[in-house]
Amino acid sequence: MINIQQLQKSFGELEVLKNISLSIPDHQVVAVIGPSGSGKSTFLRCLNGLETITGGTITVNGHEISMKAPRKILQREIHAIRQETGMVFQQFNLYPHKSVVENVMEALIVVKKMERGAAHKIASDLLSKVGLAEKEDAYPSQLSGGQQQRVAIARALAMEPKLMLFDEPTSALDPELVGEVLKVMKNLAEDGMTMVIVTHEMNFAKDVADRILFMADGVIVEDAEPISFFENPQTERAQKFLRQVSEF
Amino acid sequence: MDIVIDNLPFLLKGAYYTLLITVVSMFFGLIIGLLTAIARIKGNRFLRMIARVYVSIIRGTPPLVQIVIVYYGLVDYGIELGPLTAAYIALSVNIGAYVSEAFRGAIQSVPKGQTEAAIATGMTERQAMRRIVIPQAIRYAIPPLGNTFVGMLKETSLVSVIAVTELMRSAQLLVSQYYVYMPFYLAIAVMYWIMSTVFTMILHQIEKRLSVY
Repeated sequence: MINIQQLQKSFGELEVLKNISLSIPDHQVVAVIGPSGSGKSTFLRCLNGLETITGGTITVNGHEISMKAPRKILQREIHAIRQETGMVFQQFNLYPHKSVVENVMEALIVVKKMERGAAHKIASDLLSKVGLAEKEDAYPSQLSGGQQQRVAIARALAMEPKLMLFDEPTSALDPELVGEVLKVMKNLAEDGMTMVIVTHEMNFAKDVADRILFMADGVIVEDAEPISFFENPQTERAQKFLRQVSEF
Repeated sequence: MDIVIDNLPFLLKGAYYTLLITVVSMFFGLIIGLLTAIARIKGNRFLRMIARVYVSIIRGTPPLVQIVIVYYGLVDYGIELGPLTAAYIALSVNIGAYVSEAFRGAIQSVPKGQTEAAIATGMTERQAMRRIVIPQAIRYAIPPLGNTFVGMLKETSLVSVIAVTELMRSAQLLVSQYYVYMPFYLAIAVMYWIMSTVFTMILHQIEKRLSVY
């Protein structure tokens, strides 16, 4: 699904991602964890071209992001990746001027040129799937954070993505609302969706992920199965991080 | 007072032209302003420069000068415009610059996450702009646009110098006919004030209607 070769990303002088190479097979659920400022979110945002990379290549589903490609081709490849990739943001980023169901329908109408009726049907089904069937006509501001994030997941799923990216999806939520979002994500993982999740929810990562990427200072420090990572971290950096998060 | 009432139909006709010029210039000003704002934010270097120079010139010169240039100045190049047409053009181009500043500020106050969310679902930048950013920006733009429009209503009085018989010139004609000043000028002051107030009230209504979410 994803193949990354020597990915580099700098903001000016600051090197945020240093030579990352890895691949992610279909249906794998990958949790990216690590201290803040380690480049996790930047890494995720490179995968669908929200950040322009400085070096290396990223291939998603056969579409390649490479700085060597001409601008036109690069844009087309990124556009192709985005059509097959859903993304969920920390701040939800729902469209405040559109109702819940319109939020989910929007890309179907604009990108897939679908008729309103057909788009509405798909959106309704997805909203029931995330447990928000009765909120169709509400506006985002009338929903709780957890509900908004579930709408955002439905919005991403509407395009029938082959890959879902989650950028700290529960970090902006009140603690009691985290569970409902994680439950939707867990269902998605069980349905076989390929997922890359940047998260601080260690229990969720342990529970649902097939693989942990531990990042620090722009490098993937550990790449392991959850059990071995959490019970037997290899590096001092990871040991220290896990000690710190478990102190709560 | 009686002479004002006797001549009220004439003044109302002037007020009609004032309103007409305001609405027509606003309409074209909105289009020019929106395009200019987009050119300034999303355009290439060339478009950005053109838009910036345009806004700078309009904001840096008196509207009266702009009006006489369009009406009298263009005659030198064989372009003879009717007074009303010249008024529409000069005022649309004038207000377009101010509208573009209002829109630019409004577009920039839509959070970046909105565009990101839209393009992440596969929309192009242009689709995201049209479907997601601009509808929200319009809401942010309404208070500054409202001020611009009320300003425009008053600015139309300047086209009296190119012989458009709008409200200001209607009063001037009556003054030169009757040789009394105060009643007519006071009357049109009241009429401008009423029109501005109604405009402001309408804008408040629109603002309220748009802030349902």
